[in-house]
Amino acid sequence: MFFILTLVLSGSYLILGIFSAMALRKHLRKNSYVNYNSLVLSPLSPKISIIAPAFNESKTIIDNVRTLLSLYYNNFEVILVNDGSTDNTFEKIKEEYELTKVNYYFDYHIPCERIRGIYKSKNPSYNRLIVIDKKNGGKADSLNAGINICQSSLFISIDADSIIETDSILKLVKPFLEEKDRKVIGAGGVIRIVNSCDVERGHIREIHLPGQMLPRLQVLEYTRAFLLGRMAWSQLDGLMLISGAMGIFDRETVIKGGGYSIKTVGEDMELVLRMRRRMAEEGVKYEVTYIPDPLCWTQVPSDVKSLYTQRTRWTRGLVESLWTHRKIFFNKTYGRLGLLGYPYWFFFEWLAPLIAFSGFIYSIYLVVTNAINWPFYLLLFLFVYTFAVSLSIWAILFEEITYHKYKKKRDVLKLLIAALLEPFFYPMHTYFAVRGNLEALRGKKGWGKAERKGFEKKKKRVRQPSARKSEE
Amino acid sequence: MIRYTLLLILSLLSANAGRSYPSGTNYKTDVYSDQVVMESPYYVNIFDKIQISSVGPDTLKTATFNSETMDTAEKAITTVRYIFFIKGDSRWLKRINYSEKSIVLINSLIAAIIISIATMIILLVIILLNRKRLEKEELLHQYLLEKYQSLIINYLFGYTSPEEFSSIASDTYRRQVLIDQMIDVSINLKGDESKKLISLYKLLSLDKDSIAKAHNRRWHKKIKGFRELAFMNIKDANVAIYKALNSSNEILRMEAQIALVILSDDNPFEFLSHLNSHFSLWEQITLHELIIQHNIPLPSFQKWLTSANPTVIIFALRMIREFKQKESEDNVRETLMHPDPSVRYLAVQVAGDLDMRSTLETLKHMYKNQDYKISLEIIKSMGKMPDISMMGFLKLVLDKEEDVQLQIEATKAIRNNGEEGVKALVKLMESEYKNYNIIIKHVLDRRIF
Repeated sequence: MFFILTLVLSGSYLILGIFSAMALRKHLRKNSYVNYNSLVLSPLSPKISIIAPAFNESKTIIDNVRTLLSLYYNNFEVILVNDGSTDNTFEKIKEEYELTKVNYYFDYHIPCERIRGIYKSKNPSYNRLIVIDKKNGGKADSLNAGINICQSSLFISIDADSIIETDSILKLVKPFLEEKDRKVIGAGGVIRIVNSCDVERGHIREIHLPGQMLPRLQVLEYTRAFLLGRMAWSQLDGLMLISGAMGIFDRETVIKGGGYSIKTVGEDMELVLRMRRRMAEEGVKYEVTYIPDPLCWTQVPSDVKSLYTQRTRWTRGLVESLWTHRKIFFNKTYGRLGLLGYPYWFFFEWLAPLIAFSGFIYSIYLVVTNAINWPFYLLLFLFVYTFAVSLSIWAILFEEITYHKYKKKRDVLKLLIAALLEPFFYPMHTYFAVRGNLEALRGKKGWGKAERKGFEKKKKRVRQPSARKSEE
Repeated sequence: MIRYTLLLILSLLSANAGRSYPSGTNYKTDVYSDQVVMESPYYVNIFDKIQISSVGPDTLKTATFNSETMDTAEKAITTVRYIFFIKGDSRWLKRINYSEKSIVLINSLIAAIIISIATMIILLVIILLNRKRLEKEELLHQYLLEKYQSLIINYLFGYTSPEEFSSIASDTYRRQVLIDQMIDVSINLKGDESKKLISLYKLLSLDKDSIAKAHNRRWHKKIKGFRELAFMNIKDANVAIYKALNSSNEILRMEAQIALVILSDDNPFEFLSHLNSHFSLWEQITLHELIIQHNIPLPSFQKWLTSANPTVIIFALRMIREFKQKESEDNVRETLMHPDPSVRYLAVQVAGDLDMRSTLETLKHMYKNQDYKISLEIIKSMGKMPDISMMGFLKLVLDKEEDVQLQIEATKAIRNNGEEGVKALVKLMESEYKNYNIIIKHVLDRRIF
């Protein structure tokens, strides 16, 4: 039975890979005929609000806001939400962008912590910028505050510590402009890893593969997840997650759904699930789309401690979201989401590490009691190892023939070496996931703490952990 | 990553599940392997072949060959048997002591490992070759582009004869690069030079390539053909382009629209009258940009305000607004009553943007029966065409509506009535009946828009 399960798991990866390859090919072909420039200056383009929550981001905030203000699009506003930072984030912004408090009347469509003030710049060059200063309430709460303030029908939620590609709005908004009989309620894109890249004034000057092993392994992981996984799930209408680092949403649908949940640390996944659930229950035809273009660059943890904090949080978010929306599980009312997407996440994302962990314990028991069948163990290990490595190499190939971001030949070789080493890090990830489950059981809340050093190079390159931060 | 761990663990569990079989199952492996030896189809088939071939006319030669072949075949079989435990008598296999299905399972695992390793190697080679190919192609493409560009320019200035092109454009790839370069150059050309380039295009029979592409079965080839024909103003494939107008492939449909707008002399927007499918905002934006960039002669868009396709009406309304076709006021007023809410919403917006004051009364009357989005747009439009006679209505909205946005827009509309409006707002601020201060302060704050 275990062997059949193994085969099912391997088979599902292969099927997802095939779907993804087909969808990517179609997307790239279509995209080669798209002229995004039409959108840049068109008076017909819809207004977009970019909501960027910031908590203790003083080291990067000036550059990040500058990047946001210089995005290619003609009809947008940037809403920066200072989530009660305890450092000088707000002071720096206020000074740099010549902010002054305005008499802003708005409605709390979605509950959020008290807004202390809304600021706009005295300098007309920054008239796109709105800054909200509020009491700390976490990322979800800040996004809700931003949604209350913004007046456009579409909003983009981003992490203020991410670097956004200049044409990202054009790409994100396109599915909404192409909307036909199905209402587009949200869209997400590919998130890339910025560690070790040359960043100058909020823009990436040169792309490098991370110099450290942990971020490099995450490059592989992200490539697999975004180019193989999400692309396929988007095709199968089973997409359950739009990354919190960057996503675009229909404001009205989000407000009707009650906004971001502040009860979970997986607010990005929970929101998508809730919106999809609501649309399905109301019988509205809808879609959640995915753009396989790299739109946003984020820093990933480069040390085990930060990685632990991030992964346990992700697991908690997953458990909380799945539990909240357990009604979807194998429920045909929710279509492919209920019959395919949710069960996949349940079995292969949530349950998998728990089974894996129990397997580790059992293996240790077998070794201790000298009952393990070593030759067969070796054969099975080779099977899983070679399969995992070949899947990673598939992902590298996808990256090579699609976006080809790592230009140097040695970067590909480094990625290949990382693919060979990656399976030896699985036990660590299993451990993180089990800890995340335990934390979820204990009802732990909050994001955990991580320190930010900024994007700019200190000596040569930046290798610093990310993770959104908020009060524990 | 977790999922791979699961794979490993599942495998391990399955491996050790075999251990739970009683030790007595050993014999099954042996019996099974014996059967394989006795009945191996490989042996039978190979020997049969050898015997048959050895009775051929050139006996000596065949025999030598057969003997060598036999050795090689046996070696190969032995190798395969060692890799895959076909015979089942391997000591290693016996040690595994898995279950009666062990041979199948182990062979499957070995096959999977070999396939995975082979896949890894093949992918690796593809990745490296792809890199090399890309680099080579880029270099060649760049070289050809530069070469063709200077040739085209020389030709346009009369320094080069067309013969020089025919020798270059000998293969499909080079012809395509030449077409692409001609299109690039043609963007900046007008008058005689443009005509000269088009005649060269025809002279080299490149138009036939483009027409063939327009008739191609594959959609992306069609698009390439449409684009080339549109740039070179060749109308020979217009029928094929018309066919693509109602295609379910939105990109193909959009490219067909663009090509027809460029290629039609008399009525470039006639396709709108035949458009049955959804005319997305993306298509509308692209077409609007095309009109601006190519200076396409504008029709009176009110003609399509009665279209059966609501998305065509929406496009017409947008174009009426963008090109300020105020003569369409009567027809726009009629669309305010359109059954489709998206049409009504846009009609309200256009009425405001074009200052169509004759719609004010209609807007006031329709306010109550509309959904929130349209109601809000009505108030916004009233703000765009300030009229003292609407002040009473706007004050009523401010007073009765609970929604903040409606209140703000009503206040803005009052403010836009100039001195009269501001006076009215100041009076409202002093009112003790309701506290309007915060709304009015918001509206009067010029930094908020």
